[in-house]
Amino acid sequence: MEKKLGVYICSDCGIGDSLDIEGLQNATRKYQPAVCKTHPFLCSQEGVQLIKDDIQNEGINTIVIAACSQRVNQDVFDFDPLTYVTERVNLREHVVWVQPPGDENTQLMAVDYLRMGITRAMKALPPEPKKAELEKTILVVGGGVAGLSAALETAKAGYKAVIVEKAGELGGWAKKMHRTLPSRPPYAELEPPDIEGKIRAVEENPDIRVYTNASIEAIDGEPGMFDVTVSSSGSSETFRVGAVVFTIGWKPYDATKLEDQGYGRYKNVITNVELEEMANNGGLKRPSDGGAVQSAVFIQCAGQRDENHLPYCSSVCCLTSLKQAKYVRDSNPDAGAFIIYKDMRTPGLYENFYRSAQDDEGIFLTKGEVLGMEENPDGTINVKVDNKLLGAVTTIKADLVVLATGMVTNMVPEEREPNNLTDEFIGDIVEKQTQDGIVKELEPQSIVLNLKYRQGPELPHLRYGFPDSHFICFPYETRRTGIYAAGAARHPMDMASAELDGAGAALKAIQCVELTSQGKSVHPRAGDQTFPEFRLESCTQCRRCTVECPFGTLDEDEKGTPREHPYRCRRCGVCMGACPQRIVNFKNYSVDMISSMLKEIDVPEDEDFPLIVGFICENDAYPALDMAGINRIQYPPNFRFISLRCLGGTNLVWIADVLSKGADGVILIGCKFGDDYQCHFIKGSQMANERLGKVQETLSRLMLEADRVEQVQLAINEYDRLPEILDEFIEKVKEIGPNPYKGF
Amino acid sequence: MAEETVISPDIKFIRELKETGGETLKKCYQCATCSVVCPISPDDRPFPRKEMVMAQWGMKEEIFSSPDIWTCHNCNDCSKYCPRGARPGDVLGALRQRFIKEAAVPGFMGNLVTEPKMTLVALAIPLLLFLVVLGVTGHLGIPEGRIVYSKLFPIRYIEVIFLSAVGLAGVAYLTSLSRFWNRLTRVNGRGYSKAFVPALVETITEFLKHSKFAKCEANRDRKNGHLLVFYGFVGLFITTLWITFYYYVPKIHSPIPLSDPMKWFGNLSALTLLTGSLIVIANRTKDKGINTRSSSFDWTFVIMVLLVCVTGILTELIRLAGIAALAYPMYLVHLTFVFYIIVYFPYSKLAHMGYRTLAIAYSKMTARDVEA
Repeated sequence: MEKKLGVYICSDCGIGDSLDIEGLQNATRKYQPAVCKTHPFLCSQEGVQLIKDDIQNEGINTIVIAACSQRVNQDVFDFDPLTYVTERVNLREHVVWVQPPGDENTQLMAVDYLRMGITRAMKALPPEPKKAELEKTILVVGGGVAGLSAALETAKAGYKAVIVEKAGELGGWAKKMHRTLPSRPPYAELEPPDIEGKIRAVEENPDIRVYTNASIEAIDGEPGMFDVTVSSSGSSETFRVGAVVFTIGWKPYDATKLEDQGYGRYKNVITNVELEEMANNGGLKRPSDGGAVQSAVFIQCAGQRDENHLPYCSSVCCLTSLKQAKYVRDSNPDAGAFIIYKDMRTPGLYENFYRSAQDDEGIFLTKGEVLGMEENPDGTINVKVDNKLLGAVTTIKADLVVLATGMVTNMVPEEREPNNLTDEFIGDIVEKQTQDGIVKELEPQSIVLNLKYRQGPELPHLRYGFPDSHFICFPYETRRTGIYAAGAARHPMDMASAELDGAGAALKAIQCVELTSQGKSVHPRAGDQTFPEFRLESCTQCRRCTVECPFGTLDEDEKGTPREHPYRCRRCGVCMGACPQRIVNFKNYSVDMISSMLKEIDVPEDEDFPLIVGFICENDAYPALDMAGINRIQYPPNFRFISLRCLGGTNLVWIADVLSKGADGVILIGCKFGDDYQCHFIKGSQMANERLGKVQETLSRLMLEADRVEQVQLAINEYDRLPEILDEFIEKVKEIGPNPYKGF
Repeated sequence: MAEETVISPDIKFIRELKETGGETLKKCYQCATCSVVCPISPDDRPFPRKEMVMAQWGMKEEIFSSPDIWTCHNCNDCSKYCPRGARPGDVLGALRQRFIKEAAVPGFMGNLVTEPKMTLVALAIPLLLFLVVLGVTGHLGIPEGRIVYSKLFPIRYIEVIFLSAVGLAGVAYLTSLSRFWNRLTRVNGRGYSKAFVPALVETITEFLKHSKFAKCEANRDRKNGHLLVFYGFVGLFITTLWITFYYYVPKIHSPIPLSDPMKWFGNLSALTLLTGSLIVIANRTKDKGINTRSSSFDWTFVIMVLLVCVTGILTELIRLAGIAALAYPMYLVHLTFVFYIIVYFPYSKLAHMGYRTLAIAYSKMTARDVEA
């Protein structure tokens, strides 16, 4: 493609008052643009028409708009991305709003940004999307409330669904419930579960196919073309689906580990799940002698929020105990139900249900700690409680003690402890003999999905086995593109939430098959039509890309050469950053592109003016800098920021490029990583950090100090910290002294 | 951690409380806003938070062995600021009513007076008694001539009936009070920082000044109403002594001329009581943004006070107007209400007098009282 460059500089919003526009225009000359124009109001209809006319008359196909942030006016400067390369140079938020007007350094900064922007545009090509007719059926793994809801919503939206259920019948836990929590105002009355209706709706729907007594032998492929092998009642069958909804549900925590709370020791100590069964099978009775239940004590957080058992809160057990307290009261108006809680947690509108239970004269609630239990000769149990509300140690005589045990995701196999799982994939650490000697390696275990992915057969998990995703920002996304988790497999939740969750995940799955067949990326770069391209002839089989991809996109052949599965890709560019051979590139995002941009920076020879290059992530750091601009927060003029899709895409060669050019430091600003990560690509910022640990090597080769390179974690709302962070880094760099390569 | 208690909640007690004005008690979620805003709650084990939870848990014994439900003046600052609408003020009121009923000697009197549905029976008893006495002694009928109430109901009869009834009630009340005192003092492991008599004197001084009542914020006007009712009763009590003195010493008999200082004093006291009870009623009816509801027990008593005033004043006015056919029946009606107020006092709202005195004195003795 022959590049024909048009540069458009807007002088509105203070740009013209602050900068020498003519100077900017002169700076573009070396790139020989076909047109270079200034406009006082570029985002006006007239301004946009100016660009359109040039496209029409001059054949401009590479458009550089030097104006405001790329995050605004996207709908205004909207030129077909498959035909034109559009690059936005942020003179407003990143220059004139954060630097003193008319200053020489402000002008230098703007010129650098303009030159980098033009270079980026000149190096970019329009993407070539991989469109294909793909399979759009949705596979639903698990036929509980969430799964049924996912399948029904899928069918309602006009797609086909296949349910694979392990048990002999659909319905899951909902079938075992005596009553469910109230679903409508005033949230006071328990309701019979309406699961039968749902099962019937699924069974009668011609667009939903159901396999019961079934398991998945293998899932091979990628979104739009997952080949699923299901074995059911002795025979197996392979079919193709487009995306997967993962609703495998939960299991109760193993109460036999709660002997210290009386379980297994005393007959009248049962779990909340057992009470539910009891209520379903003839009502509440003392297990020891079948006697009436006059007084029941519910012990909340039994084996929960406890490092030795489940360290987390299951969020439902308070509600379950309130519900079951009502069973006790309904069965006998003179019976007392005592709930001993650590914290009463009734999320959302269930607060109303809590209130209605609280109003019941026979339901007694207290924050407290169970100090001990003793069995009386008649089988009743004296529960000794440090009652925090009464401020006294009280003894309650109970016919029934109910342990409110928590929920464990079915991602965790029966025999494993949820609080003691191997990182990322559940499995065993084994010792393997390799050419480097004996190494310890994780051997992941197959549990449900049996994915034929190089990285492992299941979804990577967070602590305690829940599928890894950003819990708040993109809850259904897992780390396997096209597989969306929902229901209590994803995190503990009640039935109403699971139902909603199933619907949500189904819609994500549909979105996935649609975007994928258009050759577009799903979240977070939804709509991106680029794909990573591998120059495999230069590959050294180092496997960094296949190991580091947060989404398991790449498989390997026997030698270790990456095998692409483009539709699994989320376009973060982590592989691009990982590759020491620089063989991974995108049409509009490449190692060479950034290197070329770095060459355009004019590093001043003045030793008192350290120049620092910042690599910033487009999801958090870039908008944070925008917000600094919007709030007119001033920061030093020594920085030149380059936006990356993800900090995980940082290739170490760029750091060498920056420093060998004579710039004095490199700062990487990206999302928080660790347990509470905020990275949109989950592992990106952490990967960048790990790579920086290895930058030492590069720097010592250049005889430079490691402290010249630093990574900062910044949340999107922490823009006010920027001046402090940047000032501090300058001070640090000044202390190290000027880069000895300056002026070379 | 305090002492160990075995809990066997009295669900019936909770139900009763809910029926007698404490229907919101279960709403309390123990945030303790009430104890913080209460101007007269002590720092040491403040009320009404703990009363709320004990009531929720049906711990009758514990509540009734503490002075705190009586230390409460029902200002309702707690109910005003309660984020849950649990109305601690009303719950404590219900607890006090329940206590009066529980502590009543003999027990059936508790039921008779604290149960509003029994009020008519309670009033019928003295009226029938009067009619029977008058019938038997041949006094039933409108006497001729100048209206002199002792013509209908000789003073000696009144003395015998009232003195013996009040005497019995007094003995019963003293029994209840001493039982209460024993309950209070039974579990005192902390010793006393003040003797009973000085504490009592301090308490009564406070009452005379209504200084603790003055600390109420949400319901400031209640103090004035209560003060007038209090002094109205005191004035009428003095009037009664005064007239008895006239009767026996200078042998001045009723009706006493309006010019007599005793008459001025008596009428002034009656007007004070009337004004006081009207203020109390007005306070209870006007919405001051405080989330409270008067229990029927409270209403019964306020209305009885109003009626005793109104019938008393009417008795005097009709006599002055000389309408014998109305005056004598009115007098009987008035006597009936007087009987209700002074003979039933150990079982009516008036019983709080003694319990509150002892409770506050005890709080002072154990250094848990808030400076007035």
